[in-house]
Amino acid sequence: MSESSRKRSSFLPSLLAVLAGVVYMVFFLAGESQMVIFGLLLGAGLVVTAFKYLRVLDVVGESAKDNQRAFSIAVVMGVLAVSLYFYDDPFVLFLVGTVLVYVLTCLGLNIQFGFVGVLNFAGASFFGVGCYTAAVLTKNTAVPHLVIIFLGGLMAALLGFLILIPVLKTRGHYAALVTIAFALLFKTFLEVNDTLGGPQGLKCGALNLFGWDFNRDIVIGSFEGCFYLGYIAVILLLLILGFIMARRMEDSWVGLNMDAVRLDETVSACFGQSIPRWKITAFTIGNFYCGVAGAFYAMMLGYIAPTNFTFGDSLILLSIVILGGLGSMWGTVVATIIVILIPEKFQVLQEYRFLLFSALVIAILLFRPQGLLPRPLRSYITLKSSSNR
Amino acid sequence: MDIGLIAQHTVNGLMLGLIYSLVAVGFTLFFGVLNVIKFSHGDMLTWGVFTAFSVYLGLALVGLTSPSFTLVVVALIAMAAIGFLGAVIAKVLIIPLKGAPPLNTLLITLMLGTVLRESIRLFYPDGANPKHFPALLPDWSHSWGHFTLRFDNTAMLIVGILMIILVQIIIKRTKLGMAIRAVSQDEETARIMGINFNMVVYVTFAIGSGLAAFAGVIYGLYYNELSFNMGLLLGAIGFSAAAVGGFGNIYGAIVGGFLFALLQTVGAAALPFASAYKDVFAFGVVIVLIAIKPTGLLGEKETERV
Amino acid sequence: MKLNRSISFILGLFLMLASGPVMAKDTVEVAFIGPLTGGVSAIGVGGRNSADLAVKLRNADPKAKYHYELMVLDDECKPNAGVQVATKAAANKKIIAAVAQYCSVVALASVDVYHKFGLPVVVWGAVHPDITYGNKYKEIHRINGTMINQNEIAAKFITGLGYKTWVNLYDTTDYGKGMNEYFSKYLTENGGKILGSFGVTSDQQDFTAELTQAKKLNPDVIWFGGLTPLGVRIRLQMEKLGLTSQFQSCSGIISDAFITGSGDLAEGTIAFREGEPVENLPGGIWFLKEYNKVGYKEAPDAFGPFAFAAMNLILDVIEEVGPNRKAVVKRMENIKGYEAIVGSVTFDEHGQNTSPAITKYVVQDGKWVPWKNSEYASGKRKLKRR
Repeated sequence: MSESSRKRSSFLPSLLAVLAGVVYMVFFLAGESQMVIFGLLLGAGLVVTAFKYLRVLDVVGESAKDNQRAFSIAVVMGVLAVSLYFYDDPFVLFLVGTVLVYVLTCLGLNIQFGFVGVLNFAGASFFGVGCYTAAVLTKNTAVPHLVIIFLGGLMAALLGFLILIPVLKTRGHYAALVTIAFALLFKTFLEVNDTLGGPQGLKCGALNLFGWDFNRDIVIGSFEGCFYLGYIAVILLLLILGFIMARRMEDSWVGLNMDAVRLDETVSACFGQSIPRWKITAFTIGNFYCGVAGAFYAMMLGYIAPTNFTFGDSLILLSIVILGGLGSMWGTVVATIIVILIPEKFQVLQEYRFLLFSALVIAILLFRPQGLLPRPLRSYITLKSSSNR
Repeated sequence: MDIGLIAQHTVNGLMLGLIYSLVAVGFTLFFGVLNVIKFSHGDMLTWGVFTAFSVYLGLALVGLTSPSFTLVVVALIAMAAIGFLGAVIAKVLIIPLKGAPPLNTLLITLMLGTVLRESIRLFYPDGANPKHFPALLPDWSHSWGHFTLRFDNTAMLIVGILMIILVQIIIKRTKLGMAIRAVSQDEETARIMGINFNMVVYVTFAIGSGLAAFAGVIYGLYYNELSFNMGLLLGAIGFSAAAVGGFGNIYGAIVGGFLFALLQTVGAAALPFASAYKDVFAFGVVIVLIAIKPTGLLGEKETERV
Repeated sequence: MKLNRSISFILGLFLMLASGPVMAKDTVEVAFIGPLTGGVSAIGVGGRNSADLAVKLRNADPKAKYHYELMVLDDECKPNAGVQVATKAAANKKIIAAVAQYCSVVALASVDVYHKFGLPVVVWGAVHPDITYGNKYKEIHRINGTMINQNEIAAKFITGLGYKTWVNLYDTTDYGKGMNEYFSKYLTENGGKILGSFGVTSDQQDFTAELTQAKKLNPDVIWFGGLTPLGVRIRLQMEKLGLTSQFQSCSGIISDAFITGSGDLAEGTIAFREGEPVENLPGGIWFLKEYNKVGYKEAPDAFGPFAFAAMNLILDVIEEVGPNRKAVVKRMENIKGYEAIVGSVTFDEHGQNTSPAITKYVVQDGKWVPWKNSEYASGKRKLKRR
């Protein structure tokens, strides 16, 4: 079978999938009673399992793989459509925004764990570093907010760099120890520091780009949209940038090196790669993502406190990454939606969140370590109609 | 700083060091035998003390309330139960994953720890709130100046040290201990020599978990309190104590445990805003120590495969 | 005959139709926000039950214009969870008003959210002054007193008993810090000497460092500003270190959990709280009777009556002006002399109820007893170091 002459599959299946997803999301987010939500969840589960067996999912998967750009655009349009549908429901929009923020954060964690294999148990803490940077800078300085978001990422990256240096030459579980210690102590450190607000936390100014205050409702003609729409637009933009960057990195020699380091350190060292260098690079870049997401989230939420950033939250972020599939970016997107949205809507689960997702991760690691949407194998075969991979 | 205060701080430090050492010994045993860091160890401690508490409540219902009797019964049952739980976990989760990448096992045990923790919070009646652990030891004390020597603290110290000595004896002087050491050194050869690998692993996990339960009971007696998330920080401390001492080396774990307690006490006494920064200080020093000597202060067993 | 029958039939039909609209009442949603999990959950649950009682009683009242539904939200006594549930309640257009917050730290964080979405709120238990005085939000009201009053009376009373020296421990949340600030101020005004002050984190486990230093300073009284879980730990560890000072605290530890946690050591602890004990309240006995009739599993605890009064106030206002947030906010600006079970309620221009009553409590035989009824006051029992 000559792969190189495989025809590029049609875009239609994945487009239909995206449309179906959008419609489902609208119903799901609009659902009020618990019975409706439960029914929707059950229905989705059954449909997906059925499709898997009928090989429909494979068709959709191939179609998405071959039409990456179109698929991504379709998904972005879908997100916009869902947001616009709920243009005057602040809570739903808030949820959508939160999901997008978490996707960005988990992308960062994916780069660390999925690409290079560095375990980061302090994801929520680096996120918190970004939040606090934003809070302190918006309240005390006149630094433009775009720069603040960038600085948030920078601070997180810097801190991560400092933390990892002592344990670079040691083995995996020491790095884990360092990040665990950091995660446990970050919260305590914040609580005793009055300059950072102490246990009370800090208020954070609203996003203000080029003079437009994002906390005001959007009024265009007769259209009165909730102010969260503006935030969603910005985070979507950030996410797209982050996604493209991660994808580019994965496809390039950078990604190749990272994979080598993850798969076998000793062999890569034999081939002349500098293991510490790649670990630091991935760790720093990943933390940058977390910091940026954090800075943005602080501005959207308007208020942050140390209890947002506990060890348990870091574990939830990790479980999203594992659930979605290590190194798989779309997998992270799907997993974030599942982990963040479902407990919010299906209230019964809210209490049992941590328990449920930890057990889920154990099950996945035991039975299906590749996760929901396994990362596809690296392929060097271009298709007949040369599209970019 | 008068002698009385120093003595007081010392006693506090010793108690903490004892608890940390007990947990660290568990970590080191598990690593030695299976090359695995079992992060849920701290939560085994929590389960241990909750089991003890429940048994105590049960005994109180039946009407048996004599403190020393209940104490012994409660401690023994807790140790046995959690030891058994440890063996079950070894069988179900750890051994099947022997071939998997080590980070996977680390993750699984961490998640397991969360499951254990959350189960208590959600399913134990009023689990989210801290509970009062009964003071089962007689509480008479004697004061010299600023220094108060309490009977229960001394008793706990003595029993704890005896327990550590007991573990030492088991490891160094019995056939079982020899089997454990053999498996730690070289699994394949041990198997060839006829040692039942799986059985040794189960027993090791049982011992380690039983120790954790014991440490939990001591903790409960010392602070008179138990709560569902007490194991998290203790697990992290135990892990770093074992790391500082050198994984696989029991003496190292004991040294590491007391060293960590020493750092905490020094940090608390010397720094302003004492109690908050003492953990930061202690972990910081430990991380620096690991960076300087990655194999631990007393040397770690070599496991690098080339 | 036949005509009569048909006329009465038509008349009956007409009457039935006329009473139809009265039977189908509109549903109005209100919310309760409080700490249902965590260290102070007993108080939160008591408050929730009390608010629920108010709604139940109102729904059973045939004269009520609307049918009320209560949405219960848990703020876990943590600011971030609080902000999230506050956003949830405030962003939900169907919720007209809310009874919110026992934990000051959560209230301080959430007031901005309530204001952003225009949700009228009556606070039922948080005592930090800044909640009402720190802003000019028309939506925020509070039915219980602030910690300023509490600490003023506390300082006067405790120095009046003859104690001279203090060591203060306080948790580093705004609640503990605020308590410490006001208590220290009034204490020094009344001639008390503060030998040392230590801040502790709100989930701190081990206090040996602070208490050992306190022991060195040898104060008459150890004062604690914070909530029950820490109060229990501090009291127990005081005993372990052989500290013989009197233990005094604030409204944060007045709960049954403190007594069950400290056991016998709780005996003789002094604390203060806004408002009168339930039995002395104008509507207190009636409230307890109704509460027990419904048969809630948990006690209303210290702040249940306040939650009940707050919810009743909201329901009364909604009955008067209709289920409209803006109208409710406007009406709440003019509450003067409203008779609630906790006494007369008047909101000042910051939405704060000016109620001066502070009760002094002491633990006697495993129960919080008002000082004047206790055997300590009559001299039959002695406090420490007296």
